Amino acid sequence: MTRALYVSLLKLHPPAFRRQFGGEMLWIFDEARLSEGAFVLLLDLLISVTRQWLLRSGVWKVAFALAGAVVQVMAGGAGYYAFHRHIADKNAAGAMTPLMSELILLTVGSVGIVIVTVSGSTLWVSRFNRRRCANRKRH
Amino acid sequence: MVEDLSPFLPLSPATLHVLLALAAGDCHGYGIMQEVARQSEGQYKLGPGTLYDNLQKMMNQGMVEEAPSPSDNDDPRRRYYRLTRFGRAVLHADVTRLERVVRQAKLHLRPASGKAR
Repeated sequence: MTRALYVSLLKLHPPAFRRQFGGEMLWIFDEARLSEGAFVLLLDLLISVTRQWLLRSGVWKVAFALAGAVVQVMAGGAGYYAFHRHIADKNAAGAMTPLMSELILLTVGSVGIVIVTVSGSTLWVSRFNRRRCANRKRH
Repeated sequence: MVEDLSPFLPLSPATLHVLLALAAGDCHGYGIMQEVARQSEGQYKLGPGTLYDNLQKMMNQGMVEEAPSPSDNDDPRRRYYRLTRFGRAVLHADVTRLERVVRQAKLHLRPASGKAR
């Protein structure tokens, strides 16, 4: 059962890392699980998968870009709201002040579009890379 | 030409131990783990996840490379690694740095231990 868990955690690693070291890591698990303890090896693999995705694979760059885009959209929304309030105050009439719900809707919509665009392009690039690797293997 | 190795220093404990293990000769992953445990008298143990994460980083930096298997009837999953000339230079630079640290530590700890007596 621990072996199955180890294999599952190995599968969670980035594909390039898994292809390069996966077989050898599983071999070490088979050799060392009695002397080192399966739990210790599983914990080590859990730390490894986190480090691989967060530090080595560059996913943090996508997350950072996403966070940056969301902040920009929010700042844009807040600026838009403040500008309309300013105009409304000047005209002494609330007619031009947008409804808060409309603004929230606009912000949520924009954030949604950003998330869908980034996720879509990430999936497309990873699929493209997988195909390229498969073609390389065939040749 | 003297290469500037300062961007690679100080080495992390895992990197230092792996390089030290490989300085003794070509080794496979499990062998590196055992050699690290032996060299540190069991005080520092590397798991496969930590080992291969560091090996990947060191291979990308050109400190370590894959070596051919010494025997034909070896397990195909077992791969061997060796230190490159650059890796040896980085290890040497870090050991020199550590020597300086130890020298300073000895210098500062000597009077303190004398006072305690």
